[in-house]
Amino acid sequence: MTATDSSHLEPDTHPSAAAPRQNGEATGDGPASTADIKSPQQTANDGVADPGPADPDDKPRATRVAEGAWLGGVCTGLARHLGWPVMAVRIAFVALATFQFIGVIAYGALWLLLQPESTVKAPGLESASRAGLRDKSRPKRRIDWGMLLALIALGVGLLWIMQNTGLGISSKLFWPVAFACAGAALVWRQADSEQQKRWRDEAGGKAWLAPFVARGGWPALVRVIVGLGLVGAAFGIVIAQQGQISHLPEVMAMTMLALAGLAIVLAPWLHRSRSALNQARAEKVRADARADMAAHLHDSVLQTLAMIQRQADDPRAVQQLARRQERELRNWLYGDELHEATLKAALTLAAAEVEDERGVPVELVMVGDCDTTDSIQALVRAAREAMVNAAKHSGADKIDVYAEVDEETVEVFIRDRGKGFDVDSVADDRMGVKGSIIDRMARHGGTATVRSAPDDGTEVRLEIKR
Amino acid sequence: MNETTSQPGGLGTTGQPDAQSPDVQRKPYSVVIVDDHAMFRTGVKAEIGRSVAVVGEAADADRAIAVVLQTQPDVVLLDVHLPGGGGVEVIRKVHEKNPDQKFLALSVSDAAEDVIGVIRAGARGYVTKSISGSELVDAIRRVAEGDAVFSPRLAGFVLDAFSGSIDLATVDEDLDRLSQREREVLRLIARGYAYKEVARELFISIKTVETHVSSVLRKLQLSNRHQLTRWATDRRLV
Repeated sequence: MTATDSSHLEPDTHPSAAAPRQNGEATGDGPASTADIKSPQQTANDGVADPGPADPDDKPRATRVAEGAWLGGVCTGLARHLGWPVMAVRIAFVALATFQFIGVIAYGALWLLLQPESTVKAPGLESASRAGLRDKSRPKRRIDWGMLLALIALGVGLLWIMQNTGLGISSKLFWPVAFACAGAALVWRQADSEQQKRWRDEAGGKAWLAPFVARGGWPALVRVIVGLGLVGAAFGIVIAQQGQISHLPEVMAMTMLALAGLAIVLAPWLHRSRSALNQARAEKVRADARADMAAHLHDSVLQTLAMIQRQADDPRAVQQLARRQERELRNWLYGDELHEATLKAALTLAAAEVEDERGVPVELVMVGDCDTTDSIQALVRAAREAMVNAAKHSGADKIDVYAEVDEETVEVFIRDRGKGFDVDSVADDRMGVKGSIIDRMARHGGTATVRSAPDDGTEVRLEIKR
Repeated sequence: MNETTSQPGGLGTTGQPDAQSPDVQRKPYSVVIVDDHAMFRTGVKAEIGRSVAVVGEAADADRAIAVVLQTQPDVVLLDVHLPGGGGVEVIRKVHEKNPDQKFLALSVSDAAEDVIGVIRAGARGYVTKSISGSELVDAIRRVAEGDAVFSPRLAGFVLDAFSGSIDLATVDEDLDRLSQREREVLRLIARGYAYKEVARELFISIKTVETHVSSVLRKLQLSNRHQLTRWATDRRLV
């Protein structure tokens, strides 16, 4: 089943990477249009059940980003998507807000339409977090209040200039619109699904409590009341401007009464449907996760266990299998997402290959990373050769590989605690060390030094300019 | 194999570091094992039981806090992932009452966030669960004697966290950067050198190596470098 699935997946990843640049320009004209452009691509993506190994960078979708967000994360998300500085996007929105509130409306629309960035962690960490096995205290998100104030001041200033020069909306409409916008924004903030999830957590996971406990948390309540008040004020102003100020109390009272009646009638039904929806959604997510997990365990662990049983009389093979399975599982559960063309990916792969072929554990530690170039690839090949040598000749039970990348150079150390050898006595015709390590590094402008002594292990040091 | 295991044991006090020799000379170190997998606890106990005295076990954070406070062992072997808030929670709660309690973190997860988190909470070292029995005994002794235990991976994390983006405008420069010597020591550890080999390589005593490592540990715990936390969360290893 999984086999057919994946074979179906491969050809399905048709070029959906429709130039994010173009997407970006459209956004510059009117931010709301981003959503229109996105939807066809989204449906294209939906066809692909699991975009697993695809590089996240070539997904041309903007998302709301919680990290570093001031309000809904729309600006941060757009800025990341377009590759612009965040502050530029923020200023653009504030400036747009002064033209008939376009900025405000666009921001609101994008807030609703953009998916929150999915911060999916490795399944092992996710489940450990869910089960409360990990430290929960996360660093608080920092808001630059000074900048925020500056932006608000800029917006108000621009608005004031527009109004004074007569380019803006007529003053008759201005305050009602402003109030209504602010009120609607406050109320609609409830629609932020990210927030809802947090509320549900606050309610201790009891779904039926959520609307009362979490939703009724005083900040949310205050927000709703103030928001409704502002919208009400907007109506009030309009009515007052119509000159029917004397009827205002009656109109207000009637409206309130009608709304209250409607709320009482609809509340239970709304609540029930909402919690049913939530439950169904959670159920589906859980089922999906379980299916993924089962498929993965079947493909990896179960197969390995079967192979181990078959080769039970060969301890070396068993160890090798166990080691490979451990590496694979660890990587799946907690592992780094390795991007294709980096030194780290290449070295990890080389180490894994040597480990599998020779059955000697290779411990890789990396500091920094960089993209691969021709010379880096040569470095990786030389490093692999050194690992193979260590595994083949040293007799050590473990190989340590350490790679460090700084601004100018890349260094890799391959070390074993095996039997070592006398460096000077190595004949020139020994292809391994001379040809594939020292000469190869020299050809690419790098250096390789081998340090070894009998009974004192071997360390190969490779260095190359970036 | 033999050579490997005896080499990390290069401690200045005894002439020939042998896993058995502390047994004979002094009371074995007392250890509490905190891990939610009973099978793992049993395995560890079988492996190290001859060299150290296992005085308690616990499977979750609350139980661990109680057991550790009651038995006050020399070293607590602490799983990073633990029901009830993780190892970090245990260290915090115990240190409130007994700030001198020593912890050695043990984990299958190599996530930088978790490793740095548990060290910053106050653990004196970090080793992976695949460590061999004799190496673990050695690490326990080192922690019990007040030294720090850095695996190659932890050394790599620390170098990564303190490297590159050093902000010169930070307030406490001493805490926020590693000295040249500390960097050299860490690099050798990351390259797989045991303390004894580091000492020989740099022509310094093992005690000096231990001092450097302890000082790095202190910086790691005390530095409130914004980048350090950021680094660990950003990296996330996911």
